[in-house]
Amino acid sequence: MTDEADRLIDAALRDHARIAAPRHLHRRLARRHLGGGRRWVAPSLGAVAGAIVAAAVLLFVIRPAPRDLDVANEAVGDHQRVLASRGLGVEASDMHHVKPWFAGKLDFVPPVSFLGDDEFPLRGGDVAVFLGHKAATFVYARRLHVISLFVFEAPDVPAGEQTIRGFHVSTWGAAGFGFALVSDVSWDDLRMLETRLR
Amino acid sequence: MAMFSLRGRRDHLAVVKDEPAGEPSLAERALEHVDALYGLAYHLCGNASDAEDLVQDTYARALAGAARFEDGTNLRAWLFRILRNCFIDRARRRNVVLEIPDDTLDARATEPWDAAALDQLRYVTASEIVAAIATLPIEFRFVVYLDLEGFSEAETAEILRCAPGTVKSRLSRAKARLRAALKEIR
Repeated sequence: MTDEADRLIDAALRDHARIAAPRHLHRRLARRHLGGGRRWVAPSLGAVAGAIVAAAVLLFVIRPAPRDLDVANEAVGDHQRVLASRGLGVEASDMHHVKPWFAGKLDFVPPVSFLGDDEFPLRGGDVAVFLGHKAATFVYARRLHVISLFVFEAPDVPAGEQTIRGFHVSTWGAAGFGFALVSDVSWDDLRMLETRLR
Repeated sequence: MAMFSLRGRRDHLAVVKDEPAGEPSLAERALEHVDALYGLAYHLCGNASDAEDLVQDTYARALAGAARFEDGTNLRAWLFRILRNCFIDRARRRNVVLEIPDDTLDARATEPWDAAALDQLRYVTASEIVAAIATLPIEFRFVVYLDLEGFSEAETAEILRCAPGTVKSRLSRAKARLRAALKEIR
């Protein structure tokens, strides 16, 4: 039994003990040590104006593919908001009540068909702002744990797994949508739910 | 032999390594390990703010002393060793006495696990693991985390400046304490 306990503890360490650095720390270190300003050339006014227009086009017309870490960080922040909120926009265990609730609140139909089951009952749904755009939130439960699924429009979200501040985040993309699943359950549980969702 | 040039910028040094075009610089390669270093820093400091400071100190010291890094040696291990030195220096500055791990084993560590306890262990959460690691003496946290990062006993011994046998025994005792701590927490 102790061998089994050791094996489970090793698995739990692998799943939970790594804590990813916050995004701002990555940025700060890169700025400081990769010499961000070393090839600085004073740009002309025209170049600045052109850059602003190009940035606006990129921001509003072409929706860039979000980076894996951006998605994961955003998912953790939004999941914490779900945990702290007093209630969801719609609280129902029946997907046929939850999905119609999004009509008129989102400009897309979230492609989620998993209705919930005994192991991962559906708790409800809500609308979140995810990476600056409206997203659908589906909330499932695993025993006493809360699992949030965020569905948002994004052209290309790479599949990935991250642990941020103790929360596990699994991300993937399909059919022009991005998906981020986040919770403090074990990786085994999170992957089990992901399998049912994909 | 690799050449490095250091350029001063107000409060820090930016390091540019003279390498063939297209080759990542030492700073670029070092910054690939931010997450791994931060994870250990978090477990040592117990909070995000101090962990961030420790990682920043580590990179500042490592890249200011980049000329001392020998190409072809283990960059990741070198960074972890610097993080350890930074952590010890910070503890000294704050007059924090680092606990010396003893050889006594908590009696709970040797208690048998019944099926129900094992079942609970299958569902241990991230916060419980973080809390359990926080109960360990600092030296035990180092060996547990470096083991998790895949360092061999010899590499860990090199990072911690101790004998490989010490690493082995500390890891064994650390795991026993983790067992006891998780039993308590669950």
